[in-house]
Formats: sequence, structure tokens, C-alpha cells
Amino acid sequence: MMLDIQSVTVGYSATPVLRDVSIQVKPGQLVAVVGPNGAGKSTLFKTISGVLTPTVGSILFEGVDIRDIPASRRPHLGIAHVPEGRQVFPSLTVLENLELGASTEAGRRDWKDNLDKILDWLPRLAERREQMAGTLSGGEQQMLAIGRGLASSPKLLMLDEPSMGLSPVMADFIFERLIEIRRQTQLTVLLVEQRVAEALESADYGYVLEAGRTVLEGTHDVLSANDRVRQAYLGM
Amino acid sequence: MNFLQIFENVMQAAVAGLLTGSIYGLMCVGLALIFGVMRVINFAQGDFMMLGMYAAYYIFGLLGIQAVFGNFIGPYVSIVLSACVLFLFGYLIHGLLISRVSGTRTTQLDGDGHYAQLVLTLGIALMMTNGAQMIFGSVMASLRTPLTTAAWELPVGTAISVFLNKSRSIAAIASVLCIMAISLLINRSRLGKSLRASADNPVAATYMGIDVNQAHRMAFALGVSITAIAGGLLATNYPFHPFVGLEYVIVMYAGVVLGGMGSIIGAFWGGLTIGLVQQLSTLVLPTQLQNTAIFVVFLLIIFFRPQGFFGRSAERT
Amino acid sequence: MKDRHSLSVMLVFIALYALLSVFTTDAYYQLILTLVLVWACFGLSWNLLSGYTGLVSFGHAAFFGLGAYTTALGQMHFGLSPYLLIPLAAVFGGLSGLAVGIPTFRLRGHYFALAMLAYPLAMLYVFEWLGYQEVTLPMMREAPMAYMQFEDPRVYTFIALGMLLGGMLLTRRIEQTRFGMALLSIKQNEAAAEAAGIDTYSWKLKAITLSGAMAGAVGAFYAVVLLVVTPVSVFGMLVSSQALVVTMFGGVGTVWGAVIGSAILIPIAEILHSELGSHLPGIQGVIYGAAVTVVILAAPEGLYWKVRDMLRIRRGSSSANQSGTHPSGIETAPVAAMPERTAQQRAAAETAEVILEARGLSKQFGGLMAVDDVSFKVRKGMILGIIGPNGAGKTTAFNLLNGFLQPSAGEVLIDGRNVVGMKPHEVCAAGVGRTFQIMRPFMRMSVAENVVVGAFVRASSDDQARRMAQEAIEMVGLSDISNRIASELTSKELRLMELARALAGQPRLLLLDETLAGLGQSEAEELIMVLRRLADKNITIVIIEHTMHVMVRLVDRFVVLDHGKVLTEGPPESIIRDKSVVEAYLGKKWSAA
Repeated sequence: MMLDIQSVTVGYSATPVLRDVSIQVKPGQLVAVVGPNGAGKSTLFKTISGVLTPTVGSILFEGVDIRDIPASRRPHLGIAHVPEGRQVFPSLTVLENLELGASTEAGRRDWKDNLDKILDWLPRLAERREQMAGTLSGGEQQMLAIGRGLASSPKLLMLDEPSMGLSPVMADFIFERLIEIRRQTQLTVLLVEQRVAEALESADYGYVLEAGRTVLEGTHDVLSANDRVRQAYLGM
Repeated sequence: MNFLQIFENVMQAAVAGLLTGSIYGLMCVGLALIFGVMRVINFAQGDFMMLGMYAAYYIFGLLGIQAVFGNFIGPYVSIVLSACVLFLFGYLIHGLLISRVSGTRTTQLDGDGHYAQLVLTLGIALMMTNGAQMIFGSVMASLRTPLTTAAWELPVGTAISVFLNKSRSIAAIASVLCIMAISLLINRSRLGKSLRASADNPVAATYMGIDVNQAHRMAFALGVSITAIAGGLLATNYPFHPFVGLEYVIVMYAGVVLGGMGSIIGAFWGGLTIGLVQQLSTLVLPTQLQNTAIFVVFLLIIFFRPQGFFGRSAERT
Repeated sequence: MKDRHSLSVMLVFIALYALLSVFTTDAYYQLILTLVLVWACFGLSWNLLSGYTGLVSFGHAAFFGLGAYTTALGQMHFGLSPYLLIPLAAVFGGLSGLAVGIPTFRLRGHYFALAMLAYPLAMLYVFEWLGYQEVTLPMMREAPMAYMQFEDPRVYTFIALGMLLGGMLLTRRIEQTRFGMALLSIKQNEAAAEAAGIDTYSWKLKAITLSGAMAGAVGAFYAVVLLVVTPVSVFGMLVSSQALVVTMFGGVGTVWGAVIGSAILIPIAEILHSELGSHLPGIQGVIYGAAVTVVILAAPEGLYWKVRDMLRIRRGSSSANQSGTHPSGIETAPVAAMPERTAQQRAAAETAEVILEARGLSKQFGGLMAVDDVSFKVRKGMILGIIGPNGAGKTTAFNLLNGFLQPSAGEVLIDGRNVVGMKPHEVCAAGVGRTFQIMRPFMRMSVAENVVVGAFVRASSDDQARRMAQEAIEMVGLSDISNRIASELTSKELRLMELARALAGQPRLLLLDETLAGLGQSEAEELIMVLRRLADKNITIVIIEHTMHVMVRLVDRFVVLDHGKVLTEGPPESIIRDKSVVEAYLGKKWSAA
């Protein structure tokens, strides 16, 4: 088990943002977490990354409880977080953004190889390596954010709504690239998406989050035939 | 006054402006580094500079630097050493005080902590200025070298010549060299990239494994020591006293704003411009109003072009 | 902040202070007594602007110094008496406050503070240049009393007491009227204040004018007491800092703060200065610096609030008033009993007049069209929900409706009138109320006091405002707890309070921004009941929400946005099964029927 989130609750009021959430990710899997807005998906990622702390429950990464490890140390363990909204460094170049992704020990070690592979998978980045990241289009920024995550030589890649704000064509392209990268590297991926169909299509396993709770889980076949998913999004 | 004399005066003022302006530029770069990375208005920047001047003075006189290096090189060695002292001091002050109202703590504070930062740095400034008065007294001190009063004469054409004060020229060259070194540090080194990343997007920087609070501490300590170097270079030309910090606060902010808040190299050009404005204004304004000229420029920029002139145009996400 | 006792406490304080002054015979200590009052007054003037609005001014020395020089030069050059000059200084101070405020309030955050810093320092250099390095007030031996020159130093203390009383009464009056509430709402959340109909620019100007006038008068008196004016002593950094330090230390945003801070810090600083000043010059500045550093880290709002909060906690811990454990004052209706809109009501809503119309609204940020040619109509009494996947442009569209953003193209018609270009408070005055996602209520004030701010836009008197606020509180069902302090409310009650504030201005149209976010199932149901009742009263509602399962039962109609464009609109039943909507949310390849 690479990532084992056990009964995690985040938030203090009578209605916490995440409530008793348990999610497991095995090495090599692509696990998708879907759900409507406000369901707590980004909160989940922030908790795994250490920006937020659970009040109850534990987070085990490769068997070790990482709750007390500060946020800036977690990438060094092998957890790469590609945040919602890309969050590139706008006044740094594409190359510098990627270099910063390689700030982890593993990333520095594998830098040369990683860089070649990343530019190979995402050729637009190669074309624009000296360009300032703030001037890239949405889709290019998403590619850069993913490349940055890959540059850290992660064991687990977490993607937070990669299709948000992108045109359907660009979103499809991003997903397709992801599948290709996974095919070549057997990278473990935890994916949060609003666009359910795409997310579940390539997932080994999925969780449906609604109002901070997991209301449904299962393999791709189980979930995509289930109207409960539609109900979670559209209320009835 | 004939045309040639006017021309000579203007040239002289311009040259003096460039020389002094280079030192101002270095001073501004220190402040810009702090503001650029941490988005903190450091009221106490001028006072850190003042402490740097006194540190250099005492290192020179009391620690035997004068004896070892003599009067020509000694002061410059002292300035370098004082920068190290101020680096440590800045590091300490950030850790103990500033970090409580900035960095990742700001989300819990009203208005992103701006109010608290302003007031805290004001409190620190008050303590440093008056503390310095207590410890060092109000008597003017200086870090003169034999070159302070010497000048090169540079003929321009056949009829006029311009005087380049030697000490000021050395200070200007030193400033420019420092800026180049800082520029290399910021743009090429890993530390520099971490600082720029933390400035651009602290959240994403954390996700990269960068300890943003530590980056802020380094930026603060570096910013303070850079301004201290500028102070020391100023001290080789002009006498100073515990309240000198306040005189330069507006110069520093004017330069930083003119250069575009957050642009480090822009701040150098901003400081240079301020130096030019100050020296050129001596041609038309009486002495006491020179500083007012700077205020006027400052206010004009804030009102009509707050984004400055030299900064990069890329917006923050 | 009603504080019925405060007037009597003030008078008792003044009386005791006067008594202390009468019995102090040493001239030096008497001077300290006078100075404490002077700095307290100065602090109060700073508090008037910065304490209530939260706009930190580092430049109050500009007004103070101007007042001081008015007296000094007025007496020296024109032979005028301080009895005339002090009021004149107040006028100058007020005018310069206005002159400073008009341009400077356009600046945000850092730039405001820096600009304010520059003014007094610039004036310092100007006065030095004018040759006024040291102006001594001439001794008027023929008629000393006519020129406020007294042998007995106690008289100065009494005059200062009079000024302080005046300042405190003025401050108290402001606190109790809509002036103070308007300023505080600016500090709390300026955008929300604008949306509630408060003309923030105008109130800030009023505050700085009064603040400048007070500072000018104090400065003028200061000159009379010290008899010597130098640029540094009245325009210097230490002077501006002193106003800030005593108030911050004692307590911002309260009548007592500057007095407490001054009474504690000034004597300490002055006495240390006189005892140790020769060995340790500058000890005053160190004390002030240390005081403000400690305060900002340990008790950021000042001593007064810290002590008051601590006392309240001790008193309050006996009655268990923690969130969620006390009766809320609303009947919790069972879920099944929520009435549906009758067919009659629906039909009526379909034909009612159009209250709000968005026509071809577009908003471009750089290369991105956040909102693209959006048009829809909202009829009176309707509840319209704006939904769409993340990033669809809902919040941007909302901000276009009430003036927080200007559209790149298109119109917003309220009752047929285009409101594009109007400031948010003007849109509010046109009958639009709005709630915000992140609301920062006045934690120390009651529900009624929080709500009354919303009524100012429509009420001509403060009493009328209070009545309108009570009506709004009744409409949302919080009457039972209208006197409870906001910090003790549950999140549901806070939402209702925010709703009441938007209702207090008697809007015809309500824009609700994620009012249900973060609430549990039953809490959300309760809020829905309240919203339904409002709609029944013919208040039109437009709401952005993500909690769909409640929305579908609340709204009459949905407008669905995707990628900034209107995807479709219609009644809930058809929208949630509409193929294009399902695709927008779940993705094109969704296969389940």
C-alpha cells in the first residue's frame, strides 16, 4: 500500500470539510476521486501535502504515518502535488519552473534523465523552455505543472483537477498524455477531477466524495454504471 | 553665467548624481529583495543601514582592522565584515519577531498581516534608532578614507572638466559590482531561484519542497546586509548619526517604487534615478529643499505610476 | 456599542484627574499631567481615522505640526491670541485632512501608508527651508491671560482636560451613530460595506477631516504649552509614532484606548527621560518601540480589548454559551415538511415584471473570456440559481451584477435602468442587497448592531435604521437572539445574520453568494425555509450555490454557465436531466442514463 488514508476528519465545526474519509492507493494504480464542488477534494490533497492537518485519523505513506512531517518535507518523501489551477511560477522560465520541481533529493539525482523524458512527453515545453511561465496558455501551464511534478522523481503524483479551465480538446490531450506517461513509467497517480467520465475511464479504482464524505467507491465498471454519481453532482 | 558654465554645472551634477545614485541603488536593492520576496514593508530598513554604518565604524577602529589593513583598504574590509554581522542580526530579528506576522502565519491575521507588519517594523525602528542613540551617542561619526576628499579631474572637451570624487567613485564601482553579484545570485543560484519561487507563489513553492519561512528569513537577512553595505559605502563619504536611517527611508522607498515594487534590478535603476534627481535639483533648488524634491517625485510616482518604470510586467497568478 | 455607563465613567475620570492636578504642586509633574492629556487627545484624533477604518496613518504629525505652527506664527506675525488660533488651527487641520484624503484614499494598502509617511516629512523640510528652525511664542506681559499664558501650570492641565473631554465626547458620539458603524464596517470588510450601501470614500473623507481638525487643535495647544516650536518636534517621525503608539498600546477603536495608553506610557517615558536622559538619551523612543512591539505580538488590538475580552471570558464561562448547544430561536422544521412552490406561485412568477436583466454581459481578463455574452432575465418574486462546473464564471458574473467588476461589454438592467458604471453602494441604493462568502462580522457586537449597518442606505435617521434592522432580524427568525454577541453564534445563525444585514436595506433583489456553503443538511434546510418566505414576500433572489440537493428544491429556475457562456436555462426538473448539463458536469463520455 503506497498511500493509506484512514478515517481522516479535517475541520473543527459541526460540519467538518472532510469527515471520516478513507482512501487507499496501491503502487502502480491510478485512483480517481470525483465529486461536486465543495465536496472536499482539494482539502483532501492539502491534507496529504501537509498544508492542513487532520483532527482525527492517520495518513500512512509507505507504511509511515506522515502527520507530523511538515509540509515542505513531504515532497522529499516522494509525494508530488500538482495543484488546482496550475500555480506555476509566472516570472520564472519554463526551464526554471522544471528545475524547481527537481528540488527534492531524488529529483536532483535524476535531473538529466527526467528532463529529457519530460520534454519528450510534453514537446510544447521544449519549444518554450526560455519563455516566462506567466505568458503560457492554460493548457501549456498545465503541462508545465505536470512536468514540474514529474521532475521531482515522485513515487506518488497527485493531480488536482487538471482539466479545470481548459477547453475540452486541451483537457483530452492532457489526459491522453497522462495515460501515456503512466504506461511508460508505471507511476502511481491519485487524481481528483470534476469531469467524472474521463477520470474514471482510466482509473483502476474510484471514490465519490460528497459533502466531505465518501458516498460511493468501486472499480471503473461499478461506478460508471451508477446513477448515484449523477445524483451526487446534480442533486436528484 | 554663460552656456559653458551651465553645461559644466549640469555635467558635474549629473556625474555626482550617478555616483551617489549607484550607492542609493544598492540600498534600494536590499529593500526590494525583502519586499519582493516577503511582501513586507520594512520600516526599519534605514535603521538596519545605520547599524551597519556603526558596525563598520567600530570594526574598523576597535577590532584592529585599521592596524592590519591600513586606512585605504581597512574601511572596505570593515564594511564587508559589518555586512556579515548585519546578516546574522537580520536573521535573528526575522526569526524572533518578523516571522510572527509574515510568511505562512499571515492567513490567520487581519488583512493578511499588513497592519501588523507595518506596526511591528515601526516598533523595531524606534527601538533601534533610539537604542543607537543611547549606545553610540548623537555625535557624528564617519568612516573616512584619505580618498574622501580627493578627486580625479576628467576633462570634457577642451574648455570644461568634471571632478570625480575618488572615494565616491570607488563606492559607486563597488555598488555596481555588488549588484552584479546579487543579480547572479538571484538568477543563477538555487537559493536565488527558491527565493524567486517563494515570491511568485508561496503555496506552489511549498509543494515543491521549499521551506518558505526559511526562504523569507534568508531574504530578510540578505536584504538587510545588502543595505548595510550601501550604508558603509555612504559612510566613507558622508558623516552619519543614529537618525540617519530616517533620512534615507524615503529615498529607499522612492527608489523601490520607481523601479517597480518587487523588481530587484528595477530598484537599482530607481535608486540611481533618485540620486540623479537629488543632485540635479541642487542646480535649481536651495539645499533644504532637495529632499523635498525627492518627496515630490515619490508622491508623483505613487499617484500616477505605482507600478514603476523598470519592473517586469509579468503578473502574479 | 451602547455603553450607557460610559458618560458617567468619563466624567468621574475627568473629575479625579482634575483633583490630581490640583494637588500636584511640582511644576514638572504638572507638565507631565498636561502632556499625558495632549498625547491622549492626539491619539484620539489618530484613532478617529485609523482606529475605526483600519487605514494606518503614519502622517498625523502633518496636521499636528500645521496646528502648532498656526499658533506660533499667528501669534508672532499677527499678534493673534491662541483662543482664536486654536480653533483656526482646527479648521486648517480639517482642510488639510481633506486635501490629503482626496488623493491618498485612492491608494491601496502599502502605498497609502507610504504616502501618509511622506507628508509630514516633506513639510518638515519645507518649514526648515522657510527659516522656521525655531519659533518662540512671544511673551505677552501686558495681558498674559488673553494669550493663554498662565503662571499657574494647573490651568494648562484644566484646558487640556477640557479638550480631552471634548475629544472623548466627539468620539463617543461618532461611535454611537452611523458614522462609527460605517467606519467600522470599512475596517471589517470594505467590499461588503460598499455592497451594503455605504459610500466608503465619502465616510473616509469625513473621518480624516475630523481627525485632522482634532490633531490641528491639539498641535496648536501643544505650542502654547511648550512655547517653542521646531520642525522636528512637531513634524518629526517620533510625533507621528506617538499618536500611533499610545493608541495601539491602549486600545484601537475605542474612546478609552488613547487615554489608557497615554496615561501609562507618557509618565514612564518622561520620567525615565529626565532621570536617565543624560546617560541614556533616546530612552523614550526605546520605551515606545518596545511597547508597540510587545502589544502587536501579544495583544494586537490593545490593552483595553485584551482586558475586556479576558473579563468577558471569565464571566461567560459560567453560562455555557458555546456554539451549537443553545436554542437557536428557529423552529427546526422536519425535512419532509418543506413546502414546494405551488403551481399558482410558479405561474405568477412566470409573468411578473422583470426586475433584473443581464444583456450580453461579457468580461475579459487578458486573453480569457471569463464571462461570454451572458443574458438572462429575473422576474419579481423568482428564485434564480446560477450553477455550473468549477471555473464556469459564476462568481465573475455575480460581481458584474452589483458593480464590483465592470463588464467589457453588455448591460445590467435593474428595473429597466442600466446600472453598469455605478459604484457598488449606488447599486445597493438602487435596491440590490448582497451577501458574501467570507463574512467577518463585528465579533464583539450584538446581532442587532451587526445588522443595522445594512439599513443606513435606506434609513434617514439612526432610529429608523434600528427599526428596519429589527424587522430584518424578524424576517430571518433571529428575534430571540437579537442581543446576543456575534462571537457566540453558530455558523447557521451567522449566515442568517448576514442575510438580515442584506435585508435591512429593504432590497427588492437579493444576490446570495454561496450562503449555504459549509452548512449541514438540516441547517441548510432551515435557511431554505427563510429564503422561501422571503420570496413569498416578493423579494427576488439570485443565488450561486454548489450544494445541489438543496438548490433543486429551492429555486424556480436555473441558469447554467459553462466556460463563461450560458449553456441552458430552465426549471430544476428538466435541467438536472438535461444531457448537455450532465455532460458539463460529468464529462462527455458519461454513459449512465
